[in-house]
Amino acid sequence: MTNALLLAPIFIPLGGAALGILLARNRTYQQAIGIVCSIGAWIGSIALLIGNLDGSIFTYNLGGWAPPYGIVLVADLLASLFAVMATTVMAAGMLYAVGCRDKSVSSPAFMPLFLCMAAGLNGVLYTGDIFTMFVFIELMVISSVILVAISDNRLGMEAAIKYLFISSMGTLFLLTGIAALYATFGTLNMADIARLLASGERPVLAQAAAVMLMCAFLLKSAVFPFHFWQPDFHTTAPTPVGAMLSSIIVKVGIYGLIRMITLMFTAEAALIGNVLVILGIIGIFFGSLGALRTYDAKRLLAYSTFGQVGFILVGIGWGSPAALAAALVYAVNHSFIKSSMLMITGVISSRTMTKTARLTELGGVGKTMPWVGGLYLVGGLALAGVPPLNGFISKVTLVQSGIEAQEWLTLGLVVAAGALTLLYITRTWQLIFLQDPDEALKLKPYGDSVLAPSLLIALCVTLGVFASPLISLALRAVEQMGDPTLYIRAVLGG
Amino acid sequence: MNTLFALATGIMFGMGIFQLLRRDLIKSAMGFYILFTSINFLFLAVGAYDGIIAPYVDANNQTSAQPSDPLVQALMLTAIVISFGSYALLLGLIAVSSRRFRTVDSDHVNQLKG
Repeated sequence: MTNALLLAPIFIPLGGAALGILLARNRTYQQAIGIVCSIGAWIGSIALLIGNLDGSIFTYNLGGWAPPYGIVLVADLLASLFAVMATTVMAAGMLYAVGCRDKSVSSPAFMPLFLCMAAGLNGVLYTGDIFTMFVFIELMVISSVILVAISDNRLGMEAAIKYLFISSMGTLFLLTGIAALYATFGTLNMADIARLLASGERPVLAQAAAVMLMCAFLLKSAVFPFHFWQPDFHTTAPTPVGAMLSSIIVKVGIYGLIRMITLMFTAEAALIGNVLVILGIIGIFFGSLGALRTYDAKRLLAYSTFGQVGFILVGIGWGSPAALAAALVYAVNHSFIKSSMLMITGVISSRTMTKTARLTELGGVGKTMPWVGGLYLVGGLALAGVPPLNGFISKVTLVQSGIEAQEWLTLGLVVAAGALTLLYITRTWQLIFLQDPDEALKLKPYGDSVLAPSLLIALCVTLGVFASPLISLALRAVEQMGDPTLYIRAVLGG
Repeated sequence: MNTLFALATGIMFGMGIFQLLRRDLIKSAMGFYILFTSINFLFLAVGAYDGIIAPYVDANNQTSAQPSDPLVQALMLTAIVISFGSYALLLGLIAVSSRRFRTVDSDHVNQLKG
């Protein structure tokens, strides 16, 4: 079904970025444009999700060229769910950026780049063409690199160089994979590739392409062998940007992997799944142990992202419909929790004189901010998976699916590692909010606004108390993914 | 012709990897660009069937060879623009950081730890 609404989540932020560059002199206008555009994209993505609920798949042919020749945008339940998650967190990040006192946020380039990042992210989620996916990923990467390079943290530049090198390697993998797919099938449309892969025999190059695409997506989500850039890059970013990077940008790789094993390489899904389970388990332990020994509150959360992405990968790797649904629920919940936690840490560190998040200098800083302390506690408990919150829901659905799939060994490791989360969260909470502050401790009277993290925490609590809509939505998305012919028919017609 | 393309891609890929692993940040940025050029070569090879004949030029079918695929060339133009942009950004970042660190040796640009 053709639906022009698909243009909204991509082109509203992109148009806003262009307008923001024209109005670079006036910060108020830029902020207004940023807020309006991110809320516009948010409304567009929600409208698409509501339209998807009856099982229909929307497409839009750019320039009127019919697929498989033209570029097509596709919104099925999976893409819409991820896009709603992305635009919600992006809108909250924009809200945080407006109330942020960092110097980098007042730079005239900040709002346009932030909107470009949002457009790139939504584009990756909605595109049905694998080369266009590469273009949108690059848009996202380049704008996020610039955003980190202009960070208040002096080390941002170093992290940006590091990330640009490494992410280019990911791009290289992706391009090689695309070349191999094109050489084999002569098409770039994902639905067309899926149709050809499902019908014909499997040429050798197709499997090489699968490996290349997998490497690229694993690199984008910072999974074990390709992870080393992630803590640096996510820690040194300005707070609103870091919150986006560590919560929704890492989900791009997850989305790509889900698309790969449910749409294109369905025959290899079991093999890819086994690899993902192993990498996920390594990530869970590495991330949790890394978070335990780190010295910086933001870095701790960046390490924790490793662990949480590992949980999602394990869910994808088990591969049963229930496990895939659990992975989707986990991905959505983790985005809200992690972005709010990073924003709260940003609020705390914005009150210190040096704007640092080092745990040695944060001791007792939170004593004067009971409201922020409460938010941090709720977010931390959600991250650890304590009952009334959404983190608990995602862990429970994952464990249930593991029991159903009878993956006892990996399930045991996952549950054991879950306890580590509680350990590192309580440690930082005690340090920041319960310790008595130094006598000489001086704080700034005002910090960043707590509006955006409060809203996100409220969303976390709501998703914990009313969990069933999200779970049933994820189950329906998995049901739709389970039959790739639906997607193929919606895009190619007939 | 395919052998030639394979050789060219392979040699450029190797050169790019070697250069990328150098300590000097500027040299490794060059390696980055060479790697992307080798990928562009790969794309060219994907689209050239037998013989390098420009698409649409040979309207009267005077030669028997099949013209090469125009789509990959369009893709390559996009890829070149993107890789050029990233390269420019990378060199800009290196220029700023070399002023800050007083060196382009990547061993000394290592204040991020932990």
